[in-house]
Amino acid sequence: MSESTRRITQVARHEYRAALRSRVLVILIAILVASTIGSVLIGASDYAAQLADYNTYRAAAEAQGLTRIAPSPLAVLALLRGALEYIEILGAIIAITLGYLSVSRERVNRTLPLMRSRPLTGAELATGSYLGALGIFATLIVATALVGVVSLGLIGHDWISPIQVLRVTLACLAALLYLSAFYCLGAIATARAKVPVNGLTIALGIWLVVVLVLPQIGDTLDADNQLPGGLFQALGLDHDGELAVLTHFTGYERVRTGIEEASLAKHFERFAFAMTDVKERYRPYGLSWLLNETRNNIAWLLAYAAVLFAALRRTLSRQQPIETGGNS
Amino acid sequence: MTATSTSGRAVIGTVSAQQALTFRRQRVRLIGVATLIMVTAMAGILGWSSHHTIVRVFDQAVQLQAAAGNPAPANPFLLKPSLSLLSNMVVYIPLIGALIALMVGHLAMAEDQTNGMGRLIFTRPIARTQYALGKILSAVRLLATALAGCWALSLVALLIVNRTLNGPDLARLTGFYALSWAYLVVFALIGMLTALLIRRRSLALLSAIAVWIVVTFVLPQFVSGLRPTQSLNPLSEPAGLSQGFFRITHLAQPISLVEGYKDAASSILRTTPATTAAETALSVLPTLIAAATLALLVLWRIQRHDYSRSASDE
Amino acid sequence: MGLVPTPSIARTHVMNEPAIELRGLQHRYDTDLVLRGVDLRIEHGEVFGFLGHNGAGKTTAMNILTTLITPTAGTAAVCGYDVVTERSEVTRRIGYLPADVRMYGHMSALENLEFLAKLSGLPDARAAAMEALEFLGCADLAKRRVGTFSTGMRQRIGIAQAIVHRPHVLLLDEPTSGLDPMGVRQLRNTITQLNAELGMTVFMNTHLLSEVSKVCTTIGVLNHGELIYNDSIENTTLRFPDESSLEDIYVRVGGPTP
Repeated sequence: MSESTRRITQVARHEYRAALRSRVLVILIAILVASTIGSVLIGASDYAAQLADYNTYRAAAEAQGLTRIAPSPLAVLALLRGALEYIEILGAIIAITLGYLSVSRERVNRTLPLMRSRPLTGAELATGSYLGALGIFATLIVATALVGVVSLGLIGHDWISPIQVLRVTLACLAALLYLSAFYCLGAIATARAKVPVNGLTIALGIWLVVVLVLPQIGDTLDADNQLPGGLFQALGLDHDGELAVLTHFTGYERVRTGIEEASLAKHFERFAFAMTDVKERYRPYGLSWLLNETRNNIAWLLAYAAVLFAALRRTLSRQQPIETGGNS
Repeated sequence: MTATSTSGRAVIGTVSAQQALTFRRQRVRLIGVATLIMVTAMAGILGWSSHHTIVRVFDQAVQLQAAAGNPAPANPFLLKPSLSLLSNMVVYIPLIGALIALMVGHLAMAEDQTNGMGRLIFTRPIARTQYALGKILSAVRLLATALAGCWALSLVALLIVNRTLNGPDLARLTGFYALSWAYLVVFALIGMLTALLIRRRSLALLSAIAVWIVVTFVLPQFVSGLRPTQSLNPLSEPAGLSQGFFRITHLAQPISLVEGYKDAASSILRTTPATTAAETALSVLPTLIAAATLALLVLWRIQRHDYSRSASDE
Repeated sequence: MGLVPTPSIARTHVMNEPAIELRGLQHRYDTDLVLRGVDLRIEHGEVFGFLGHNGAGKTTAMNILTTLITPTAGTAAVCGYDVVTERSEVTRRIGYLPADVRMYGHMSALENLEFLAKLSGLPDARAAAMEALEFLGCADLAKRRVGTFSTGMRQRIGIAQAIVHRPHVLLLDEPTSGLDPMGVRQLRNTITQLNAELGMTVFMNTHLLSEVSKVCTTIGVLNHGELIYNDSIENTTLRFPDESSLEDIYVRVGGPTP
């Protein structure tokens, strides 16, 4: 192990351990885990009831000698939707908090100048902190996914297949990238703000826009969402009619899509939902088709994460030491 | 020049005026008011866009149906209530407005702890209740100013898009902003209470945000089966009450403030099927009870707060 | 120099009682007993130096006198008024300068002082604030924002806010901390002036023993929450004629070297 790698590992360990000692972070994580488990358990018990109904129907149909039995309309992975939405909303706040704590801890304790007086470069500090944060997120995501999958098996009575395990793993990796981007945002905003808490406020403002406002605008602008029950249905238009009308709205749709695509959260959501069968239109397709279909979202996720990490490295590598915090 | 007995009202006024000045100088008022005004403008633009889209889709649908020899569909505007232009505000107030209110409440209470002014203030002959009331008054006024601006802008937007506004609609619009004000006051008080309970500023702020998350996203899921992202949709979908679980938890719906707010707001704006005045009042009640309870908690907590130590900036 | 010696509030009562009186004063933070039954009497017109090592309990005693915290046991009174039961009367009679004084950085010195003077119930708060600034010779700072001030300037504005309502007793917590030698000298002159010209009793927590001998009329030494020494500077010098400095006396009576 090179000297540099050793230093990075050391910083990563420090980051991981310090994060677990933070009371507020632990409380936020507890809210996330409790909400996620709750949503999966509720979904799983409902799923068990629906699966039992379907099996009854299937047994009755087979007993009657029917050969054409409708396939199950249920998608077990779709029950993870609540968990993914919590990661999208609450997970991002946790990531920002972790980024904030990571920088403010060193500023408040005035340990940054001490660390910088050692042979530790800003890039090593950024990389180590980032890896430590990834460790926290990985623990969080894996624990959530495990609880989800086991709940689906035990309560929903449907154990997922190896290919579904792969798809859940890919959704988890996307979650990791998504959270790491928000971690960088929190850390950069805190490091650049004169008073750390102002950095936290700015990062939360960006979170509000990216995670809640932009996707909400995109949804609201959807032509079909203009009336409860759907505008096209209210006008008596079938699917062909809807498509015919929408050909006159290409510019409008482009603007709407553009607004949605500006949001990192929407890219994560689209990819994760595709992997977990949340959207019905994706359900008939295999993994390679889905990956191809969502390549745009994967690219955006990677780009956001990479750009923000580069910005973090740049911020922590600045020549002038970052101002310390404190009361004076 | 002798120190005289200071009336309670004068102290409340002095504290409130000073906090208002702080809000102005630190641009909190500017940012808070401007953000809410921008949000209203955005809701207006989205409402106008919705209006415009319906017109265009309706025109296209009429042509399509005519080409197919079918009768023209019913005008969808008959299904669209006159104040639906503002339906997005019902989402933005609990999302953006509540976060701004949290910040306002937090700043009003945390600042004197951080800068050590609390030590100087409470070595003066003033009661802590008067001080807290002054702080609450300043936050409440700031939110009222912001919402008054939103009300005025909404009025303009409605007149531009709908071309007309009758008396009952004006009353409903005013009622909606009065309800929103009460809802935001709840969050300002949460910001104040967490600042009094937790000494480190960032932790106090994050705790207030955690409460907001629970109220806005978590409670609706457990009480009514609404997924987190459904909270972003102004068109509320029917709650998943098929399961026994929700039949039990639904009884706790009054504590789900955001649902109560949305229900009350929708019935005031008439963007949902008509409800009786009693039903609307009932859905407003939890917000009012929460505001009163939180105000009492702030008044209680401030008596015990240790102002001899200054809080950490972090 | 618009300030005149004030004490006009219940003057008779004030002068009949000691400026400060502590009886069996105790304070406990969780399980930590920081004040262990302190008895102390300070007469009007004195400049009292309260000495003690870090964590001895000096600031806790000051916090009790300023009514910011309530003692666990015992009593504390200012001008005969109990700090717990007669808080309002006490706060009318004290002026307090905390260690590391800070005010609203976005407001001018005058605005800060005016706000605090209003809370003290002064009818013409602005005029009183201006008078205090003029008395301290820092009227030029009136319109400047406090956020831009140096430590020395902040300290002067801090004293101004403490005397703006012309209190009987001035409570100064580590007033010299962070000041340069010039600042320390200026502060010493100010304290002497406030005591001599305005008749204010001064209670001062400090670490600077050299300042104590130059300014104070009486001293008290606190050691682990117990008052182990209390006498006038004059008597102290008489009792310890061999000691060359106050620091030696401080060590001799039991206080660890600060």
